[in-house]
Amino acid sequence: MKALTALVIAMALAAFVAAAAQQQPAPASSAQAAKNWTPARTPDGQPDLQGIWTNYTSTPFEVPDKSDTPDIYSGDLDGRGRGTGPSSFLTDTSDRKLTKARSLVVDPPSGRVPIMPWAEDVRNYKLAHIQDDWVNFTPWERCITRGVPGGIFPAGYGSGYQILQGPGYVAIVYEMIHEARVIPTDGRPHLGPSFRLWNGDSRGRWEGNTLVVDITGYNDKGTVATNVATQRVRAIPQSEQLHAVERFTRVDENTIDYEVTIEDPKVFTAPWKVAMPLHREPDYQLFEYACHEGNRAVPNTLSGGRAKDREARLVSPKPGGGGAASAR
Amino acid sequence: MRTSHLFLAALLGVLAAGPPLAAHHSFAAEFDGSRPVTLKGTVTKMEWTNPHAWLHVDVKGPDGKVVEWMIEGGAPNALLRRGWNRESVARGTAIVIQGFRARDGSNRASGGDVTLPDGKKLFIGSTGTGAPGDRQDAGGKK
Repeated sequence: MKALTALVIAMALAAFVAAAAQQQPAPASSAQAAKNWTPARTPDGQPDLQGIWTNYTSTPFEVPDKSDTPDIYSGDLDGRGRGTGPSSFLTDTSDRKLTKARSLVVDPPSGRVPIMPWAEDVRNYKLAHIQDDWVNFTPWERCITRGVPGGIFPAGYGSGYQILQGPGYVAIVYEMIHEARVIPTDGRPHLGPSFRLWNGDSRGRWEGNTLVVDITGYNDKGTVATNVATQRVRAIPQSEQLHAVERFTRVDENTIDYEVTIEDPKVFTAPWKVAMPLHREPDYQLFEYACHEGNRAVPNTLSGGRAKDREARLVSPKPGGGGAASAR
Repeated sequence: MRTSHLFLAALLGVLAAGPPLAAHHSFAAEFDGSRPVTLKGTVTKMEWTNPHAWLHVDVKGPDGKVVEWMIEGGAPNALLRRGWNRESVARGTAIVIQGFRARDGSNRASGGDVTLPDGKKLFIGSTGTGAPGDRQDAGGKK
């Protein structure tokens, strides 16, 4: 018991130290850090971003606030679950990294995404009525996509990304959910407003050692983020006016600084920015994630909702309707 | 002693605090956290499918009738990294599973700890689903 107590105290102290570290000011800008290090070049002269990268982090997406309602964000329909879920320190993400920022959202400085109230209302309605209709699921739960840029936000598992480069292209393979992006860097223009895609239309260019990717041409069916790890931003709708600009800068052998600025004047009152590191992990293997193969959650969830409907009819039969028992 | 336990519980609470991580879907929409179930049975099949693995188990009811149950696990890549492999629960293995029943009352459950014949425990569930007790997953640590 003594040994266990000592171990627990040591672990708690480590956690406090880590938490304190998160309160420190953000590190110097990626551009400044990159100055002291020159990345290798691919045979055709691009800065070399290739390799296997992971996005494990213990930093929350947003700075928490007392107005947060994690039960709603996680779809805890009746308050029986705990809502937010635990840290995964003890499981498959035990090698997660700590960053020095207090949230992945770095702009606005409050660490809070400036979401318009109507968009939060849509999120709340859909998450509370997920048992009613498949359209209320996020595109991730439907195995369509985790989105761009949402697919690179940490989810806690399936956290591998492989970057490959060829003349005029950068390709990113996402372990979750088995997605691949092919980003042209040859200066071609966007597809134009008649094309509306779940993940928009990515166009890359090099600014020094930084890969800058401009994304437009979204449809209005997707959501900016899909995973509960993105907290309040999960299931926030996107409009056709969504515009994202990603920046990938390799700042040392083992780190890419990733940043994305997101604007959508129909959904957010101002642009906002996420910044986080991607860690090189050459030994990490990307496993196949054939999401649709066994996605029974959609029919099972809808079936759970129909069972609830039957229960409700049994409890309060409609007047003159002969009661619920005979309804089906 | 009681105080000491409370102290430990508080410290563990601190350790467990952190950003939420999630399974592919909402636990509460599909399963009922107020209906825990313990199943004793024999493994008939493990489906290594995404986004969730499914373990099939034949369970003998009080009337002697054998019923097949389907137990939802975590994503295959999460289970593999946690130490699971195709030999972990071979067909025919007698196991005990703790989980939570499906909301529609069918013979499905969200899985938690799986106890093997030698007493070893493996955690089959997803982490961070919001399921009650889904922190009790150290048994499956790689």
